[in-house]
Amino acid sequence: MNTLTSFFSLLIFPAGLTLLLAGMFYDWFDRKLVARFQNRVGPRWFQPIADVIKLFAKEQITPGIKNPALFFGLPIVALSGALAAALYVPLLGFAPVHSFPGDLIVTIYLLSLLTICMGLAGWNTSSRFSLIGATRALTQVFAYEAPFLLALLGPAMAAGSWQIDVINDYARDHWFAISQPVGFIIALIGLMGKLELPPFDAPEAETEIVAGALTEYSGRGLAIFRIAKALELVVGITLVSAFYLGGLQGVVPFFVKTLAVLFLMTIFQVLLTRLRIDQTVGLWWRFGTILVLAQLLITILWKGGLL
Amino acid sequence: MNINNNQLWVKVIKKVRAWARLNSIWAVHFNSGSCNGCDIEILATLTPRYDVERFGIKLEGSPRHADILIVTGPVTRQARERLLRTYEQMPEPKFVVSVGSCSVSGGVFHGCYNVGGSVDEVIPVDVFIPGCPPRPEAIIDGIIQLLTHLKDGNPRPARKEQIIERGVA
Ligand code: SF4
Repeated sequence: MNTLTSFFSLLIFPAGLTLLLAGMFYDWFDRKLVARFQNRVGPRWFQPIADVIKLFAKEQITPGIKNPALFFGLPIVALSGALAAALYVPLLGFAPVHSFPGDLIVTIYLLSLLTICMGLAGWNTSSRFSLIGATRALTQVFAYEAPFLLALLGPAMAAGSWQIDVINDYARDHWFAISQPVGFIIALIGLMGKLELPPFDAPEAETEIVAGALTEYSGRGLAIFRIAKALELVVGITLVSAFYLGGLQGVVPFFVKTLAVLFLMTIFQVLLTRLRIDQTVGLWWRFGTILVLAQLLITILWKGGLL
Repeated sequence: MNINNNQLWVKVIKKVRAWARLNSIWAVHFNSGSCNGCDIEILATLTPRYDVERFGIKLEGSPRHADILIVTGPVTRQARERLLRTYEQMPEPKFVVSVGSCSVSGGVFHGCYNVGGSVDEVIPVDVFIPGCPPRPEAIIDGIIQLLTHLKDGNPRPARKEQIIERGVA
């Protein structure tokens, strides 16, 4: 791949600009669905775009912080993590731009970068709300990260490869949502934990700790964090639906399957109330991890021909 | 770099910026001593019946994220410092909407020993919404008036600069 095409794929299509627009669209879809479930009209289609442009046009306040370089650098690192993760997943149903054996692990860690950056951002400011938000965000990472990884390893083990592209092809005629239902549900809920959607929004609980780790961010920094989160939504949903819903080949299946996953996530969002942070951790380690480990064991036995 | 205001791209960027500002308004709500009646009306404005999210209006927790500050109630002596601080924490451009008769003039609490006065004696207010408490329709109307005023290209409704100086001093 020469430099020009790699720049094109990084900045315009399928990562970069296209991904940005997709992120805005998915963000709007999520908000609109939540509004409809609550019997509201909901935001207009350009709402996330207007929000982001407005934030970019606003003043960025530098609060009393420990390390200004970190304050300005963290949003950029978070955004680049999400953009880089997009290169390894079958976005819009096209084959991943980049693929190598083991890229599943790299992608999952790139997706965690956003949470780590938010945690550091909260720790970096001297606001007590950000500090509590950061502590909760980092506690939550330890809760959902392992089950989420294990849930994605289920299809990977069955396909016999840790390469997203290969698993995507293998999933075409194996619907893992049916053969590994536990893994599917846990991957779905893990994704919601990763994105800090309700019921796992304790790190940014508005009613208790203002806005969590991002309380002190205004203007550009906040905008970049929001974009990174929208991108992570798209990449995460792509990953889960590629693994569990029969692979993503072509643009139409991509939109049908990912929007179906988003629909499911929205239902969980409006149905469930916020969990306390100890409940979140307890839920993941007492039920999530055990269940997904059991399923992984069954997969391994089946793979070895023992079942 | 020398930026000429008449260049096309400058105009386009200004247009886009103005459009985004008008269509995405995040509010932070501050109770400076209200009896809670106005606060309940503000909550009613956010509920499905009136749903201001269709205009892009959203309630935010942090003043750092907000564009408009909705103040309810007269400014008590205790709340005055906090109101100023909340206002100072908001990034520019910021607007203040004062909701309820109390925040406009002191209302029924006017002259109380613990009340400093109306909101515009402490911070510059852009829109006054009278009523005790104002109905959600009135609150929406007040915010839309602020928006239409901004849309006509005016920087902001007339401010009483001398009042800020008196308030901060
Ligand atoms: S205007 Fe009326 S409802 Fe509002 S704070 Fe004053 S007394 Fe209460």
